[in-house]
Order: sequence, then C-alpha cells, then structure tokens
Amino acid sequence: MKSQIQIPDEMNAKVSEKGRSLRYYTWLRFRRNKSAVAGLIVLAFLIIIALSAELISPFNPDLQTLEFASKPAFFKALVLIKSDKKFSGSSDRNFIPVKKLIGENNETVKYIDYLDKEKEISKTELKKSGNDSYIQSVLFVLGTDKYGRDLLSRLIFGTRISLSVGLISQTIAILTGLILGSFSGYFRGFPDRVIMWLINVVWAFPSILLVIAISVVLGKGFWQAFIAIGLTGWVDSARLVRGQVFSIRESEYIEAAKSAGFGSLRIIFRHILPNCTGPLIVSATAGLANAIIFEASLSFLGLGVQPPTSSWGQMVFDGYKYMITGSNFGMVLWPSIAILITVFSINLLGDGLRDASDPKLKK
Amino acid sequence: MLNYALKNIAQAVSILIGVISITFILMFIMPGDPARMMLGQRSDEESVRSIREELGLNKPVYTQYIIFMSKALRGDLGVSYITNRNVSKTILEKLPATAVLGFTAIFISFIIGVFAGVISALKQNSFLDFLSMSVALFGISVPQFVLALLAVFIFSATLGWFPIAGYITDGWNHLILPALALALRPMAITARITRSSMLDVMTKDYIRTARAKGLSEFKVIYKHALRNALNPVITAASSSLAATLGGVFFIEYIFNWPGIGLLAMDSIMKLDFPMIQGTVMFSAVIFVLINLLVDIMYALLDPKVKIS
Repeated sequence: MKSQIQIPDEMNAKVSEKGRSLRYYTWLRFRRNKSAVAGLIVLAFLIIIALSAELISPFNPDLQTLEFASKPAFFKALVLIKSDKKFSGSSDRNFIPVKKLIGENNETVKYIDYLDKEKEISKTELKKSGNDSYIQSVLFVLGTDKYGRDLLSRLIFGTRISLSVGLISQTIAILTGLILGSFSGYFRGFPDRVIMWLINVVWAFPSILLVIAISVVLGKGFWQAFIAIGLTGWVDSARLVRGQVFSIRESEYIEAAKSAGFGSLRIIFRHILPNCTGPLIVSATAGLANAIIFEASLSFLGLGVQPPTSSWGQMVFDGYKYMITGSNFGMVLWPSIAILITVFSINLLGDGLRDASDPKLKK
Repeated sequence: MLNYALKNIAQAVSILIGVISITFILMFIMPGDPARMMLGQRSDEESVRSIREELGLNKPVYTQYIIFMSKALRGDLGVSYITNRNVSKTILEKLPATAVLGFTAIFISFIIGVFAGVISALKQNSFLDFLSMSVALFGISVPQFVLALLAVFIFSATLGWFPIAGYITDGWNHLILPALALALRPMAITARITRSSMLDVMTKDYIRTARAKGLSEFKVIYKHALRNALNPVITAASSSLAATLGGVFFIEYIFNWPGIGLLAMDSIMKLDFPMIQGTVMFSAVIFVLINLLVDIMYALLDPKVKIS
C-alpha cells in the first residue's frame, strides 16, 4: 500500500543556487593535482588518436611491403606512385619500391629495385598530375615490422583496439558488479550469501589465467576478449558496491524513502547507487587499466583480436620472436611503450580521482 | 578458536566446490568433442566411441558433473591430450619450481615494498617519495610480459648481467631476473598500501603519546607506527595474492622457467584442455588454501582480531 505522506516542496527543491556541489569541490581538488591532470590529458589525446586513426595514420596499417621489412625507425625510401589513387587509402599496393633511380626519358623511368635488378617502367603507368609527383620519398617514423608494415600506423590503429576492448569490457564488468553488488548489499541475507560466495569463487582464480581460459573456451577474437575480461573483472566493483550499499542503506534518507513507500528498485537505483558513484568511478579507472593490460596479454598470446587487425600485444609478440636475433628492437619497444603510456596515464587519473574524492586526504 | 577455524574451513570448502564447478562449466561450454581432440588426427568412429565411454561423455550433464566433482576432490584431474600423462602428477612435478620463484618474489616484494612505503610516508612529498611512488605506479602499469621482455633485453641480451633463460639447476643466478620481474607488481602494490597506511597511522594519538614519552623516532616508527600500519598491508597482500602472482604465467613463459606457469602457457598454446583445466583449478585451490592459512594464522597471532 502506498503511503499517504506528502513530500513538502522544500524537500524537492534544489539546494540553493549559490551552494556548490560535492562534485564541484572534487573537481577543484582534482585540478590542483598536476600528474592527474596530465593523465587525463594523455588519455584524452589517446581517445582522439583512436577516433581519428584513419585520418592521422601515415599509411594503411595492413599494407605489406616486403621490400621494406624490419626497417629501423626513421627509415626513408623512394617509391614510384602508380595510379591516382590516394597512397595510404587502399590496401592494394599502388606504388613500386625503388632502391635507386637511374634515369628517365620522355617515355620511361629506369630504376633499380630491391632485388638489385634494373627495371624500366612506362610513364603512362605512373601518376600524372603535378610535376615530378610520381616519385616520392616515404618516411617510416618508427620503422616497419617483418612484413614491411608501418609500425606507427599499426600503433595508431592499435590504440582503437586497446581502448575499445578496455572500455567495453569494463562497462560489462561495472554493470554486472553494480547489479549484483547492490542486490547483495541491499537485500542481505540469502542473496548476499550467494553473491558473496560467487565473488569469492571468482576471486580465487588468478584473473589473468581465468581471462585466458575463458578466451580459449570461447575461441579467439575481439568479442570473446572483452567478454572474458568483463566476466572476470566484475568482482572488484561488486565488492565495492556491496560495501557502499551496506552503509548507505542505514542512512536516514533511505529510511525516509522507505517510509515514503518507494519500492526497493527505485530506492536502489535512484537513491543508493547515485551516492556510490565516486568510489565506483575510482575503481572503474583501475579496472580499465587492468582491462587494457589483459587485452594486451591476450593478444600477446594470440588469443585476442586476430590478424591482420593490429593490436599492441600482438605487435610485441611479433617483435619478441625476432628480438633475440637482434633485428629491430623497435618492434617490441614501441608497442610496449604505447601500452605503458596508456595504462600509466589511466592509473595517474585514477589516483588523482581517488585523492580528490576523499576529503580526508588533504594535501 | 576451534569454531573460528571450522567456520573458515567450511567456507574454504564451499569456495573450492565453486572453483571446481566453474572449471567444469568452462570445459562443458568448450566447443568441440574432447574425445576427438584426445585422439587427434587418427580418430575412427570406434575409438571415439570408446573414449567417450571411458570419459563418461555419453552420460547426462549432471552425472558428468558429479563424476568430475568427485574425481577432482580426490585429486584426479584427468589425462593430458598431448602427452597422455596424469595431469595432477605433472602439476605436482612443476610445483617446486613455481614455489621457489613465487616465494622469492613475495619475499623481495614484501621487504622492499614495505621499506619504500615507510620511507615515502616519512618523507612525504620529498623527491624520494616522488621517485618511489613513480616506480610503484610504473610497477602496476606495466604488463608482466612487457616487463619480462624489457628485462631480458636490457639486462641479459644487452648488458649480459644475467642469463637469458633457464632454471636454477644451471646456477642460482637464473633466479634473480625472473624473481625481480615477478616481484615488481606486488612490490608496487605493497609500497602504495604501506605508504597510505603509514600516513594514516602517523596522525594517530598514540604516536603523539609515544613521542611525548621521549621515545626515539626509530622506536616510534618501528614499534608503534609500523606494527599498526602493517595490518592492512598483510590483509591486502594475502587477498590480492591471486592477482599479484598472476604474473607467474608470463614470467615463467618468457624466462622458460619450468614451473606451473610455463606448463599452463604451453597447454594453452597447444589447446591441451585437461592440462589447462588442471592448472587453472590448481592455482585457485592454492590461493584458497593460502587464504585459509592466513586467516587462521592471523587469528592465532593477533589477539585484536575478534573471533566471533
């Protein structure tokens, strides 16, 4: 039965206009933390890179040019452009790698190719527009991998995989944790015992091994990766939400909501959960960092995104196979640095959020 | 006390049953027919049927589950698809290598982690604090496989200080690099928790009292602050053991360390499901047992832990 109590308007009215919200003060504290702001900026920058990968990457990341295989950073080469198609646009090769240009006349261009053979090509096959534009110099800023693919372009496209797998799997984890944790904390008793048992069981597995095992079972791939990561990552947020709900449940405003006759779901979603967003955001950031590490680890083992789609973990593995022989350490180094920068900046951001949302920690 | 211990043991058993159940579910939703995988290429209908019979795959799910559970509880984890060897036996053979590596790493991480955390807290906002917290943040940010590869490249391949890979039977210096690589993450976590716990404790009234008594600063820190600050560190260290030692899989793989981690990685590469299942389950069981032990030891050693 619904209660007859009328809620006075004053209680519904917003807090006075001049008072600032808790979030505003959190933001003020956050803004003063230089390293946290730096983390936020780097992360924003990475998101922009991920979104605009097609626009900013110098080459098609899947374009293989075996002539340019395993070259170090700042490798420069000459190419003859064949058609009018945009150079980086298609995966079909529309250029000819040239080792050395020997000469040209009105009809043909003579050059030495990468097999050290002298060759000749008719100018009608080459790009026409502009003057001299069929001969171009290309620069591989970070060098190339063993298939002659541009490492920088692959790194840029890998950002997309890392961030999206991280974000999506973390969303799955947070939602699962939110629902199970709030039910566990709110209803207590039997549901709590069952959910806590499940949390403890999942907790017992080394998470990376569980992620790997689930991916092995589900098969390799993009979707499988974030289901596997999401299914293992929810325990942290579930524990956290449960603890929060446990304490918030005892507060007076929840008592008030109950006596106003609100249903359990409404109380959980409208009154309890909004009050644990702070700690949850902090834990979600830490979770995101872990998810990105897991994604990289999975693709290092060849279980994540499948080739030719580029991902950082896979790039590290490709380089690792050639590392001991000493060829182009950049193949291992650059993707490693990319993973490090991403996870590091997310952790900086997370630490900053934690410190800012905890008023007890004064700096 | 006995009640407390029994309650903990009962909880551990219920978690173990959950662990075994999850492992069973993993195997059950796995695509493909285990009998065919076991036989590999040379699978004729007759032998597939006899293997299915032998593994109980033709029985209904709940019967399979009960058989799996009772076998697992008795320590029977089946036979490898690849080597045809007993899974539990193989795992137990690999245990010493992982134990040596794991304990060395835990020891290193605890000593250095606590030390760095205490120094950081005492010299808060100093350069030393900044430095050790940056290293700690690096430690939790770097994936274990990246760390191991960088360590091999820098210290073994380039500087030649340590052997590239191998086991302690070729000399104890084979232990140093993998143990340090494995220790970095738990070390970082320990240092961060110790720091914040110390910062918290140092503001407490009993520290002021201890100082007012005229105790030396060393005694105040060592006897009063650290003793109290370590409680959350130990709790966190034991409860995040599974996460922190998860690195053992990649570290052993890259350093070719013949332990359970390498075994797990090898079986993942070869899709040797019984072995994957066995190593996954075994790691979880070890974790549950260590936690049980820590809980009971905690209650025995610390009179402040309320036993209710």
